Amino acid sequence: MEAQLIHVFRNTPFGRETLLESSYFCKTLGVELVVYIPKTSKFLMYFENDVVQVDLDRSYLTSPASARDHAASIAQSAGLEPLFFEPKDFTASTLPDIPTHFDYMCCPRSIVDLSSKIGLGYIGPRVRRIVQNAPFPVYIPNPVFKQWKSLAVLFGGSANAVKAVRLGMTLRELSGYPLQIFTQLDGDDRAKYDKVIEERGIEEAFEKWTVFDSGKLKENLYEVPHDALVIMGAYGHGLIRQLAFGSKMELIQTVLPNSMLIVGPYCTV
Amino acid sequence: MPLKMTVPSLRLFLLRIIRHMDERLLLVIIAALVGVGGGLAAVILDRLLFGIHHALRAMQCRWYAFLLPACGAALSSFFLGYIMKEGAGHGVPEVIYSVCKRGGLLRLRSSFSRLISGALTIATGGSAGPEAPVVISGASVGSNIAKVFSLNDRQRVTMVGCGAASAISAIFNAPIAGMIFAVEVILGEWTPINLIPIAIASVIGTEVSRLVEGNHIRFSHHQFHASLLDIGAAVGIAVLAGLSSVLFTRLLNGTIRKSRDLVSPDWLRAAMGGACVGILGLFLASVLGEGYDVVSTVMANEYQSGLLLAALATLAKILATSITIGTGGSGGIFAPCLVFGSLGGLAYQRGLVFLWPSIPWAEGGFFAMLGMAAVMSGTLQAPLTGIFLIVEVTGSYEVVLPLILVSAVSATLCHYMEPVSFYYRDLVSQGQLLRPRTDGRLLADLNISELVERDCVVVDEDTSLREMIPVVRQSSRDYFPVEDSKTGNFLGLIRLDDIRPYLFNADLHDAVIMGEIMDVTVPRVSPFDDMKHVLDLMDQTHRWSLPVVQGNKFLGMVSKATILDRYRKELIVQTY
Repeated sequence: MEAQLIHVFRNTPFGRETLLESSYFCKTLGVELVVYIPKTSKFLMYFENDVVQVDLDRSYLTSPASARDHAASIAQSAGLEPLFFEPKDFTASTLPDIPTHFDYMCCPRSIVDLSSKIGLGYIGPRVRRIVQNAPFPVYIPNPVFKQWKSLAVLFGGSANAVKAVRLGMTLRELSGYPLQIFTQLDGDDRAKYDKVIEERGIEEAFEKWTVFDSGKLKENLYEVPHDALVIMGAYGHGLIRQLAFGSKMELIQTVLPNSMLIVGPYCTV
Repeated sequence: MPLKMTVPSLRLFLLRIIRHMDERLLLVIIAALVGVGGGLAAVILDRLLFGIHHALRAMQCRWYAFLLPACGAALSSFFLGYIMKEGAGHGVPEVIYSVCKRGGLLRLRSSFSRLISGALTIATGGSAGPEAPVVISGASVGSNIAKVFSLNDRQRVTMVGCGAASAISAIFNAPIAGMIFAVEVILGEWTPINLIPIAIASVIGTEVSRLVEGNHIRFSHHQFHASLLDIGAAVGIAVLAGLSSVLFTRLLNGTIRKSRDLVSPDWLRAAMGGACVGILGLFLASVLGEGYDVVSTVMANEYQSGLLLAALATLAKILATSITIGTGGSGGIFAPCLVFGSLGGLAYQRGLVFLWPSIPWAEGGFFAMLGMAAVMSGTLQAPLTGIFLIVEVTGSYEVVLPLILVSAVSATLCHYMEPVSFYYRDLVSQGQLLRPRTDGRLLADLNISELVERDCVVVDEDTSLREMIPVVRQSSRDYFPVEDSKTGNFLGLIRLDDIRPYLFNADLHDAVIMGEIMDVTVPRVSPFDDMKHVLDLMDQTHRWSLPVVQGNKFLGMVSKATILDRYRKELIVQTY
């Protein structure tokens, strides 16, 4: 069965850009595009161990009469025939439940706040919770459509980072684009990473591996190609460590404007 | 030791303990925690109701008092819809939905949102009860504690039951009723693995409430003496209560349906409903609030009004509750059922005395108690909950036999006239009431994408019968999907029976083309269709197999034999 990406469509110019991003993603990777046009400003996603309520801003409900046509024409411009998702299950009879069996989900950096507020460096709390619970990678696109022509995995040695590398390998195969790995040592011994790579059998992905053994991560991220889809793991170190030291993924997304594919702790690759 | 070393180690250590602990012991320990949470939810709501009620006491004698329920309902709806961003509704169906379809997952915000919205509605005079808010709060506490301990779906569902049980136990000081409510209404199954944690949670919830609020029977009274004649007359109250329950259920459902279409936004609808109840309260104060004082008065035989006024108050309470909850006020139906059940029982007793004054009928409190049990059992269609709740809130163990009688008669009558209770109405209409080990639940647990048979040989529409013969010889299947040679889109299906007439006529081997004889009318199913829909489709079209198609692409076949094989395996798993 073809892999599917669920995209919550916003019938605005900003929503057009994100759907163009999703369409490009689907076209490049041979993924089926599933579009959900919300009719209410809320929906629920029931994950394995959590339920996330997404409260959309009102712009998602803009011009419902033209939404389907707009979404279809954007997808068709990329050569895709989208499937339109209609919810079957409702919590409290009124809140639609969006299934979580999809293979990817497209989330802008925030799906709660007005698009006018969305800037680089802000990840909304709902998107964070989706990433933390989703069994699929979450695609966070550029605010403005830009084609990516290579893949860049940011590898920090965690279990989620290993999953990100595996996902990068899969996408390399599907897209035919080159894959590059980046690692910031942050005072660690490189041998530690070599050991993880060997133990997990992912050496093949590390043909082009850039290791930063000095400088700050923020500065070194300049080396990541501007037209790369950035793939990385997130929230792999547990809640308390994140509270103490922060999330590296969240730091990176404040610096990199690239489209990103985030592999959360419950993501299966 | 550095933090990054200790925290994962501690977490791993705890997880190891949890994983190695006996499941029943683990559930009992967590149920105790949930019991504390559920008990506290009930205490908090009780205190909130008391606090708001006292703060508004001075206003309740003013001319504008009838606006208080309107303000309360509007605030409640605004709080729930715009601040907490929850869907409307009183919450119990949401808990049941979560148990049936979502492995007991409930939003954390539900653990407190309904307490506040319920307090705003009820304390300002809205005709609703505090039980539904505490049920969803307790259940949400249970669900979220289960999440912390990474319990699986089945265990989490048990914790949801524990939360609901402890909340009902605490709010009524009735541990057995709480327990029974959880298994009869919320979970719908009685298994030892559920019952023990739920019993523990009920006990702890009750104790928490007793510690804070004191241990007292809510509607205590002196002992009733019922003769055989009274017990015989109880059948009449059972029938009347059953009819009242049906009237209440229909009126409530109708108000929900109609008011949604008539008024928008939600807070305005709730305000208008509240104003109607406030106006009603100007003439009959007994319709306002949860009405426990009315029940206490009736039970103590201190209710002064005569037959007609008691009957009128019964109908007014039914109407007021339908308006309050039906227009979006927050609250439950337990307390209103108790109120109009007791008033109806009293009216019935006054009617008996009026008709046969020479017979020494039992006191009005006795019939009020029967009325409460009958209405509870009828409206909830949960007779055990009705019986045990009334026994515990009145302390009337001596009249348990007539209570059983009226509950059974009322529940049966209601089920006959209104097959689905108010709690289950929406769930049944959307096919979401999936109780464990039922046909619907078993089918819902089967996924088409797991049952697709992919070993089908696909042919082009241009394939001739001659080219088809070796395909048939090699394949073990009777069905051959036909695809468009250019686009790969699914076009139709060839059955072995379709080509059998031509197989033995060699002259036709080149003339018969698959695209011409294929069945293009065959119904297609999607990998995301409900299994029940697929089986219904098979029955309607008298087919044993259907093609699974997604986006015009053929994925495989799904057959009745495979479905039934998996159905049986699932049944074994669920009944083990």
